Amino acid sequence: MLETINLSKRYEDGQLALDHLNLKVEAGEIFCMFGANGAGKTTTINLLLNFIPPTEGTALIEGIDVAKEPLRSKDYVSFVSENVTLYGNFTAYQNIDYFSKLAGKRNLTKADYARVMTSVGLQEDAFDSRARTYSKGMRQKLGLAVALIKDAPNILLDEPTAGLDPKSGQDFLALLVRMRDGGKSIFMSTHDIFRAKLIADRVGFMKKGRLVMLKTRKELEGEDLTALYIQYMEEA
Amino acid sequence: MLKDIIKKEILETITSPKFVFTFLLCTVLILLSVYTGIINFSAEKKEFDAALALNKKNLESQPSYQALAGLGTKINRPPEVLSTIASGVSEAVGRVATVNVAYDPNLVDSKYESNPVFSVFGALDLTFIVKIVLSLFAILFTYDAIVGEKERGTLKLTLSNRVPRDRLIMGKFIGGYVSLLIPLIIPLILSLLLLLVFPNISLSGQDWGRLLLMFLIFFLYLSVFFTLGLLVSTRTNKGSTSFLVLLLIWVIFVTIIPKVAVLAASRLNPIPSVHEITAKKDAFLQQVQGGAQKKVLDWIKENQPKPGGDQKAFQEKFKKFLEDFQQESTAKIDANNAALERDYQARKRSQERLAVNLSRISPASALTFSTMSLARTGMDEHERFLASIRAFKPIWTKWANSRMMQTLDFGGGGQTAKVSLADMPQHAFEPEGLSKSLVRTLPDIGLMLVLIIVFFAWAYISFLKYDVR
Repeated sequence: MLETINLSKRYEDGQLALDHLNLKVEAGEIFCMFGANGAGKTTTINLLLNFIPPTEGTALIEGIDVAKEPLRSKDYVSFVSENVTLYGNFTAYQNIDYFSKLAGKRNLTKADYARVMTSVGLQEDAFDSRARTYSKGMRQKLGLAVALIKDAPNILLDEPTAGLDPKSGQDFLALLVRMRDGGKSIFMSTHDIFRAKLIADRVGFMKKGRLVMLKTRKELEGEDLTALYIQYMEEA
Repeated sequence: MLKDIIKKEILETITSPKFVFTFLLCTVLILLSVYTGIINFSAEKKEFDAALALNKKNLESQPSYQALAGLGTKINRPPEVLSTIASGVSEAVGRVATVNVAYDPNLVDSKYESNPVFSVFGALDLTFIVKIVLSLFAILFTYDAIVGEKERGTLKLTLSNRVPRDRLIMGKFIGGYVSLLIPLIIPLILSLLLLLVFPNISLSGQDWGRLLLMFLIFFLYLSVFFTLGLLVSTRTNKGSTSFLVLLLIWVIFVTIIPKVAVLAASRLNPIPSVHEITAKKDAFLQQVQGGAQKKVLDWIKENQPKPGGDQKAFQEKFKKFLEDFQQESTAKIDANNAALERDYQARKRSQERLAVNLSRISPASALTFSTMSLARTGMDEHERFLASIRAFKPIWTKWANSRMMQTLDFGGGGQTAKVSLADMPQHAFEPEGLSKSLVRTLPDIGLMLVLIIVFFAWAYISFLKYDVR
């Protein structure tokens, strides 16, 4: 479970990036956060990963205050960024092996890695290729495999479908649904309204650091999410 | 986890094209420099042996002790075997001094005098390769150590795991440094093998000790640039900015500080020119010679036998007078020259010390001074050698004057006694011992260690607060 309580962040230049965010993402839920660039989506993820300290409020992962116990909280969260590049000189095997060891998974075998990589849709003949030869879609899949191998109950995704072709995007979403069904809490920041609508259990709109709208899947039924998004973005 | 990070750093580096390029270039340059050093040393050794034989032959062929005293004996500085690694100032300073009864000895005939074009390019020794080329490689290996991971997005991914930042930077330091040493150590081992297989190269146990210490100093020097690279990569947000900043610091360290230090020292502590000192020496020589003529004439006037007196006894007495007078005049000239030289050398040393100390803030200078000291190719060893020649000069002139006077023959056809070198004093020079050389290098080693600690500690603290976004 991911939770933020009055979470705020004001940068040194005075900009208020996040303004008292209160949010809870339960186990087995996909939460999609929308918002223009600079709205506070990535700041929320950075605070949940303790990459930056909060100005006010608390970020919790599985009930652990990330500012107080940053290392312990990271045992319970995986992260997939917008542009997964990993280590270009390493093969898929070498990348996943390194990150699984960092995640504390020391007893995994090559077969385990192959199983996870296959599950995210990577072709077997790509396992021994260097990551720098991968397409963006393949890199995103490998990034997801790295997140999956950690087997953390929470997953943070920062615009993971940006730049993916339609087929890769569809595959990616199918994977997220499978993970959600496996009981993971998934927080995804995205601009991809069409794809998000297909899988999100709840969506939120952020504007100038504030969560200005929160809707469940049920509330979204029959709604034009794009029009709603534009409407909220245009409002003062 | 530290082991995993170190292993990943090494694996990532050695599978990169920059590693292959560095390894090949290091191997070629290091082997080329050592091979060139060996060839140069062999040629200099041959030249030295030939010069010794020629000097002996020249001395033996002199018709008289008077001619021999005027010609003088030549003292050649033997080439240092470790100049194959650090040539120091050995190519810029004189290699041979003439010791005769008249002039103050000085080392002349440097390699650069023989062929000035060498001074334009300098020596391609191992110290030069490490100082210029390998320090750039150290920068190339670390300029993006942290900032590169940030740009690629792997830093966020790494730190989204239970990875303490202190362990990550420690792992990057150890893994990166080991990766840098691999392309260096292999050619260094090959160059040691080269030194072993060449028949003209004979290294004593102490030379091996010196060599290993020099290699240790190379590693320290590269660590300075490596930790500096790590530091700058934790203080910048772009790899290109990091590289430019490092390049600027490298230029300041390697080229600007050493040159500015010499200029600053010559301004802050000016010394008279060599020509001024030589003019003073010549003036005193002329003064002594002018007075000598009058003194000899006065002596003859006072002691000349009356007609029919004992001419033989007069000649013997005159010989004795001349010998004593010659010794006295030479001693006076030597004493004056020595005093002038002492004063000049003291002031020169003071200026040099100032230049050395000012330039020491650059690790490149520290590397140069320390390897020169260990290779015995620095200014200190040169001055010690020159001082030993100057100390030898009165001994040799005393012997030459004595032989000259003993063989003066006023009655016959001049000085015809055959020259014998059997009892001629021989110049001896004891090269500096390892412990003394080591003491001389301690400030430079200390300075490099301080820089490494400061840069690493600064990088470490910076990374703990580094904005990974």
